[in-house]
Amino acid sequence: MNRTPTLTGHGPWNARWGTVGMQRLSAHLVRAYWLVTAALFVAVILMLVLYTPVDRGMGPVQKIFYLHLPVAISGFLAAFVVFIASVGYLWSRSMWWDDLAAAAGKVAVLYCAVILLTGMFWGRSAWGVWWTWSPRLTFSLVLFLLYAVYVLIRPTIDSAERRAVICAVYGIIAFLDVPLVYLSVRLIPDIHPSSISLEPAMRLSLLAWFPPVVMLMAGMIGTRYALNRRLRSAEAGRFSEAPSAGAAIRVSAAGGHP
Amino acid sequence: MTTTLGRIMLLVAKDLRIEARGRQTIAIVLVLGILIIVVLGIGFGSPGSSGQPVTGFQATAILWVAYFFGGVLCFEKTMDVERRDDALAGLLMTPVDRGAIYVAKLLTNLTLIAGLTIVITPLAVMFFRFDLAGHAGAFVAILALGMVGFAAIGTLFAAAASSTRLQGGLLAMLVFPLCLPVVIVSTQMMRELFLPGGQLSMPGLALLAGFDLMALTVGWLVFEQVLEP
Repeated sequence: MNRTPTLTGHGPWNARWGTVGMQRLSAHLVRAYWLVTAALFVAVILMLVLYTPVDRGMGPVQKIFYLHLPVAISGFLAAFVVFIASVGYLWSRSMWWDDLAAAAGKVAVLYCAVILLTGMFWGRSAWGVWWTWSPRLTFSLVLFLLYAVYVLIRPTIDSAERRAVICAVYGIIAFLDVPLVYLSVRLIPDIHPSSISLEPAMRLSLLAWFPPVVMLMAGMIGTRYALNRRLRSAEAGRFSEAPSAGAAIRVSAAGGHP
Repeated sequence: MTTTLGRIMLLVAKDLRIEARGRQTIAIVLVLGILIIVVLGIGFGSPGSSGQPVTGFQATAILWVAYFFGGVLCFEKTMDVERRDDALAGLLMTPVDRGAIYVAKLLTNLTLIAGLTIVITPLAVMFFRFDLAGHAGAFVAILALGMVGFAAIGTLFAAAASSTRLQGGLLAMLVFPLCLPVVIVSTQMMRELFLPGGQLSMPGLALLAGFDLMALTVGWLVFEQVLEP
């Protein structure tokens, strides 16, 4: 199917919904979405400072946990989006799936980096070292590496189709790797606590952190996806304007740019 | 089924015949493996000077680094053969299922990796004086299961990357992270083996088998999509 995205960059839906009125409405909705996300972040930060009790053992550093767990769950969700988009691309060969996978891949790397960093701060506070090969830290590192390579490898493949196919296969295997990595790191001797008990106020704080973190993840994927669509559309325009120079132009949409 | 098996064996025989005549892959892979062992040997220092043999931790690292880098070179070279004189286009025109081509390439790679391990492992044992004799069977079982998964991923991406710039270090960069579960499980199992009274971990073997199954299934299913003349 030949899909021609418009420069407003909202993917395949624009063919049907691409009127000026709809575009204005969607711009307002996007602005409202980000305002709500920012407001929620301000609220949960205030809650963390003013309401959440300080842990008796670890002190204020324990509050990293309220960010760490929602980011970890959101990171898995972003990785799942990469997986779904990769399967979708191999199934349909529509480039918008590849743009979605590229967008989610970048967000997954960012979230994995946050998981890793917050885990390291936790480790520094709990065990006095920045790094130890404990199962969970190793798991975070492997997850980060899996998706960092996914993002880094994209610009090295010139052909847009080859890039999409190779990255789709990689995205599928990377996601299938996640449970195997989780199980395999359990063979490593663990110094983590096996379970963490939380007071009701702490549990409420943890739950409150989920909506803004998940919304930030979804918003970033959406924004990056819209940008990828615009880049691909712009590249398609360049090709159609100068077909003779087509071989010399490097297709750089959807991850082909730095 | 018999026909598919026959075709796979025919393709493997073709690849191995080319290799036997040119010996281009195995020679390079062996030299690379030996070089890695030598570099690590220089880095760790001679065990003879301190009288201490290399520990299980170091032995595992030495072996897996040599196997992995040698393996990636195998994957690249066996696909390179198909790029010359448009051999791949000819291969794709034959009435053979693409999955069968994948399995054939995988078996060729596994044969070459077996050749690499047969040379590298005794050499490393000789250089670093670690003791394999007590658990030779368990060591081979871990290695065999680990290498099937590694080769399944490597063969798939070597085929995918052969028409791109993803050669050399970049192919390794693509294959290594995906094979990290194999590295984690195999190294943990081998470390346990090298400990006094070490036993073969059954959950570890099951995990390796699970990874192999996942990699082989995905490889079989998507190989057709990644192969391009």
